[in-house]
Amino acid sequence: MTDLQWARISNDAFNVALFAYIAAMVGYFVHLSFKRDAFWRVARAVAVIGVVANLASVVARGLAADRVPWGNMYEYSSMLALLVVVGALVVVEGVYKVRSLTGFALMFSVLTMAVAVSFLYVGPGPLVPALNSYWIKIHVQAAIWGSSLFALGGIATIAYLVVDRAERKKLEALGAQSPPPIMGGAIDLDAADDARAGAAPSDLVPDPAEDVQAVLARRRLVPSAAGLDRLAYRIIALAFPIWTFAVIAGAIWAQEAWGRYWGWDPKETWSFITWVVFAGYLHARATSGWKGRRAAVIALVGFASLLVTYYAVNLFIVGLHSYAK
Amino acid sequence: MSSPQRLSLSQSVALVWRTLRSMRTALILLLLIALASIAGSLLPQRPNSPERVLQYRAEHRFWGTFLDRAGLFDVFGSWWFVLITTLLFVSLIACLVPRTRALWRALRTPPMQAREIDAFPQFAEIRVAAGPDLAIDSARRALRRRRFRVARDSSRPALAAEKGVAREVGSLAFHWAFILLLAGVIYGKGTGFSGLIAVVEGQTWVDAEANYDGTIQAGRFFDGFTGVGLRLRDFGSDFLRSGQPMDFVSSVDLQAPDGSLLRQQDIRVNEPAKIEGLWIYQSGFGWAPVIEVTDRGEVVWSGPVVMDRDPAPEGVVELAMPWRGVVKLPGTGAQGTDRAIELELWPDSRAFAALLDPGAEPQAMLVAFEPIIRFSVWEGPLSDLSSSGLDTASMREVSAGIVGAERTADLGGGASLAEGDAESGSGSTISFQELREYSVFQVARDPGLPLVLAAAILILVGLLPALYSSRRKVWIRADPDGDGAVLRMGGLAMQRKPQFEDEFARLVEALATAAGGSPPPSPANDGAQDLPGDRAQVSQAGSQAGSQAGSQERVQTP
Repeated sequence: MTDLQWARISNDAFNVALFAYIAAMVGYFVHLSFKRDAFWRVARAVAVIGVVANLASVVARGLAADRVPWGNMYEYSSMLALLVVVGALVVVEGVYKVRSLTGFALMFSVLTMAVAVSFLYVGPGPLVPALNSYWIKIHVQAAIWGSSLFALGGIATIAYLVVDRAERKKLEALGAQSPPPIMGGAIDLDAADDARAGAAPSDLVPDPAEDVQAVLARRRLVPSAAGLDRLAYRIIALAFPIWTFAVIAGAIWAQEAWGRYWGWDPKETWSFITWVVFAGYLHARATSGWKGRRAAVIALVGFASLLVTYYAVNLFIVGLHSYAK
Repeated sequence: MSSPQRLSLSQSVALVWRTLRSMRTALILLLLIALASIAGSLLPQRPNSPERVLQYRAEHRFWGTFLDRAGLFDVFGSWWFVLITTLLFVSLIACLVPRTRALWRALRTPPMQAREIDAFPQFAEIRVAAGPDLAIDSARRALRRRRFRVARDSSRPALAAEKGVAREVGSLAFHWAFILLLAGVIYGKGTGFSGLIAVVEGQTWVDAEANYDGTIQAGRFFDGFTGVGLRLRDFGSDFLRSGQPMDFVSSVDLQAPDGSLLRQQDIRVNEPAKIEGLWIYQSGFGWAPVIEVTDRGEVVWSGPVVMDRDPAPEGVVELAMPWRGVVKLPGTGAQGTDRAIELELWPDSRAFAALLDPGAEPQAMLVAFEPIIRFSVWEGPLSDLSSSGLDTASMREVSAGIVGAERTADLGGGASLAEGDAESGSGSTISFQELREYSVFQVARDPGLPLVLAAAILILVGLLPALYSSRRKVWIRADPDGDGAVLRMGGLAMQRKPQFEDEFARLVEALATAAGGSPPPSPANDGAQDLPGDRAQVSQAGSQAGSQAGSQERVQTP
């Protein structure tokens, strides 16, 4: 097949993937609201179709351009979307048995792909000499894997903050119901935190209006705040070494290409900021007084910093990485 | 009569030290570094793009001056950035030293025995057939097999065991690596250098201070040049028709200081040459026509003229722009005044010809094709003799013309001269003998690289156990119970508590098997058979004590 045919196949597969992700996202949200396993099965199958199409698009793109298919922002976005969905299906659903985040991961991928196809599309072509190095395989791959996991960690963190807020409200209601505390009997929030690790307050105070089945189904679907917090931490702790490696590999490449391993180029600066913020998150989780919501806010700042590192630096800030478009 | 609140000097020092050591301080310093970096990425920075700083200052007069005073156009070199970094590293060291000492001590002392085993978050009590001492022995073997460090209590049948010291070792390695990184960066900056050189095809460049044209940036402790040589045999470039560059390659001979050939190499973008600690990078290229100027038959100038390209105006590709150079001839003009010849090279004369057509688009010049040089001759005092730039303020243009490659032209009238016809005309000629290319190399030396690389590897290697390993401790005590013994086992995990619950359960089962299955002392032999299922009754109190785990967690990290 010719390069042109491969390019067309890649674009078609990209569209198939995008629409499959949109459909799967809707399916997962329907599953979240109606809590029927059938919706989940269908949504998951459609998401898998999207993954296959997305992968085909990436591979065909590489064949069309005769090089690695992650040489510009369009290609990077496509691969990022792919890995976020794969990560949601394999890590979040597969390893940690949490289904409720996949819809949001799909939403992230859909937005990423929509932005890519609307604003960042370029036809397949050869790389400029500055990018033509085997380090593009190492550095860029590490950056995509790290970014996709950070994105999943960010999604889990947002879910944690939402669920935590809801649980706190229920806990307050619980506190109001219980007899007024006697001396020394005030509710200790930390102890409450620990109590939540075992069971969600929604189970402690069953709402008589809801039937037991629905409560149980909801409980299985949306993990407790503590569980989401732990999940977010696990994913970020997985992403952090990969991101560290990506930054180090970038520095080695910079030494090979530009004659210095670090020059505070905007991309270097922002990948460092992202690294520092997530390092702060990991430390905050180990510091009393910073656990829980404060650490989660730091993780959200890291997530925002990641988006700046990718989009704003490439598109709006002049620097050595501004070749992407 | 000092007030009780006032601190003595030593108390204040201790307070400052404690504050620096705290994680809160480290977190705030990390945050400040992140904020400073954001400013450094949004505002133009002098080391990266001085011209954009000038432009910014011209556009924002008041703010420009204000930001410049605050050091915000060189954030990463400003005193306050250095201060924050220094504080962070002091905080880091203040935290690392006691932790390292504690780890060292912990590694050399056996795990501590526990008094109250049933107070730990994980607790189990099992009955085993073996007697207390034998049960503890088999427990010790089982724990050793699982790579626990085990210490037996000397006074009674009990033991303490721990595992996962790799977490603290990894964490300390990760954090110490930043000290190593800083050392490598400072050492490299202090003893290294970086500069730019332009070498014309056929010419040889030697690593010496004078040959860097003032572009050199050397560290304070830089200790001299190597004297190695580089001869540019050939430079080649390859463009797509769209003007996208595909390849830049310089074929060079690398020479020892005595001029002998060390090796031949192609230098490309992403493929620097490394010789004697020097890294030589492909950084740019340009045209260098070989020009000969004669005056009344005498050669007054001969050699390649290194040219620069005009900056392209908005909407025009750089490759469409002509190249400029100057030949300065002091004292060769009329009545002994200075003379200078401005040269404008069109490597592809078709692009020049196309521009003669009004309204034509500028054409990119991807290859040399019948190149031409437009020249203009100036007379008057030269302000400087540098090889680039001509200040024509006090000079006047006396003539102009065009000369093609391998042609000779009269400097006075510009008419192309036939071979051997140099005697006619103004008496001065210019020959465009040959069109060569020059290659711009960045030459850099950074003796800190091995240290920095080692630090980077240590950061990665230390990070993995620091994040994924977990410290857990197990205590076991055996009390005689009839013919056998009751094993009381306590467990505590500092991290990954849910996983430890499972691990602890498996451990209890394994110990029950080990101690129950081992041959009990002879008098107790028969009694042991009476145990139901030859095993043990396992009662676990793990989950009920789980809620205490949170309060036990004391993780100290810088």
